[in-house]
Amino acid sequence: MALSILEKVMKKRGLSSVLATLVSAMETSVIIEDDAGKLLLSTEGAERGVAYPVTASGDLIGWVNGNEKVAAIASLLSQTADSELEKRALVTETLDKYKEITLLYDMVEKVSTSLDTKEVARLVIEEAKKILSLTSVSVLLLNKQTDSLELIAEYGHKPETTTVVRRGVGIAASVWASGRAEIVNDVHSDSRFVSGAVGISSLMCAPLKAKDAVVGVIKLGSDEAVSYSAEDLKLFSTLASLASVAIENAGLYEQLQEAFYTTVYTLAETIEKRDPYTGNHTKRVMEYSLAIGKTLGLSEEDMARLKLGAVLHDIGKIGVRDSVLLKESSLTDDEFEQIKMHPVYGEEILGRISQLKSAIPGVKHHHEKYNGRGYPDGLKGDEIDITARIISVADSFDAMTSTRPYRNGLTLEVAFEELKKYSGTQFDPAMVDAFFASDVMEAFYTASSRQKIII
Amino acid sequence: MPKILIVDDDPNIRLLLKQSLEELEDQGVIFISADNGEVALDIIRDENPDVVFLDVMMPRMNGFDVCNTVKNKLEIRDVFIILLTVKGQKLDKQKGKDAGADIYMTKPFNPDEILRVARNILGL
Repeated sequence: MALSILEKVMKKRGLSSVLATLVSAMETSVIIEDDAGKLLLSTEGAERGVAYPVTASGDLIGWVNGNEKVAAIASLLSQTADSELEKRALVTETLDKYKEITLLYDMVEKVSTSLDTKEVARLVIEEAKKILSLTSVSVLLLNKQTDSLELIAEYGHKPETTTVVRRGVGIAASVWASGRAEIVNDVHSDSRFVSGAVGISSLMCAPLKAKDAVVGVIKLGSDEAVSYSAEDLKLFSTLASLASVAIENAGLYEQLQEAFYTTVYTLAETIEKRDPYTGNHTKRVMEYSLAIGKTLGLSEEDMARLKLGAVLHDIGKIGVRDSVLLKESSLTDDEFEQIKMHPVYGEEILGRISQLKSAIPGVKHHHEKYNGRGYPDGLKGDEIDITARIISVADSFDAMTSTRPYRNGLTLEVAFEELKKYSGTQFDPAMVDAFFASDVMEAFYTASSRQKIII
Repeated sequence: MPKILIVDDDPNIRLLLKQSLEELEDQGVIFISADNGEVALDIIRDENPDVVFLDVMMPRMNGFDVCNTVKNKLEIRDVFIILLTVKGQKLDKQKGKDAGADIYMTKPFNPDEILRVARNILGL
């Protein structure tokens, strides 16, 4: 049973003793009841006389019964109840603000944990779901090339929802143009509303801004009509600005990654250019390696270093003289020793770049053999890093199937036979099995397509 | 009747905690508050509260020390102590564990969470 307001006021520390003193000083008796008729205080031998109302903010909350003297008690209780309610309102408001702070704290913490644009968008949606009543959310980002907003993450939409917003069409476009967040509680009475968006009755839309430019919008809506308040919009806008910062950071990070990978690939291509016969070798080795890695179910981290290792596996050839590297006749022992140095040179080169260190095992040991008879360190079995064991299969397969100055490429069938033949001696059988279980042809076509390589 | 003790040197936080738990008052829960660790210790000894929301950072006697004294020295077992720590502040988890805290909550706390925890502990 909830306590009535008057009951709570009466319980205030000290009030009852003040009342008792007061009543005895007034030489009278009193009966106090709340508005439901529950007896809260009754002095000895009290009789009901006149009933004086007790009010709080104008509402009746109880009665004080007795002679005319107790009117003072009624007004004392009314005063106390008034100030109590006022205090309560203030505390409630403070508590609401405090809740808001907690939410913001959580949002900042969550939203800024990722450097992946889509992941950030997903986190933003999660947070929005927690703090606002909604049935759908979409995060749209500006594509500068097409000058339109494209959907990158969503929640609760039906499949037919538009995924692209063009300039001048719809409420989102309007927010994109104005850069100001908006509430539209009745979308059907808004002339900008595009009726294709199924089901939505009310929505809020906020811009994502980087510096002063609008780079996207977040739109959230409710299937049932709701009244989003100015407070809701404030909270939503705060979330949007947090999202803006996080998405901008993610974008910068992605650019950095792209620049990094482009540089790496260009580095590898530079080496390849010295030896025109190996054209596209790097790309194919990468595709074959990734296909094997995927079949093996490598972790994201291992896949990343496998990719780098495969692209950079021959980087050390920069240290081998042209007269040896490009020699068309057979190599002397001494020349072969020089060729054998290229994995070691690779390690030396990559060792200086911290972001490339993870690729070193794949680069340094891609000429090791499973039986321990490879170079440069004569490692065997599992001593050889998994990326190197993979690259070894991919590299050998490509070397066999492509035409080199000293011989024509083997047919695929023959190359397949060779892999099987040397499985367990030169190659790790598990890697050869994975190679055959992978979609080799797809990897081959991917590598041969004219598309710019996307690492 | 169950008792909840609220310990924080900041009067505003005490008020917020109390307000978060306000509806328990209707179910007969009695609230006591203390603005420092020494007073809190006396109250825990004399009044046997069921639940204590205990701030860590307080002048004179901090939350760890209060907790440690209650749980390990006085060996009072039937009190549930919730240590309140500031988010982001490097927290020595082991220290809290050694001190015998039952759970941690971080500030800024979520008022709904505070109420939920208190309800769970008291079975209300």
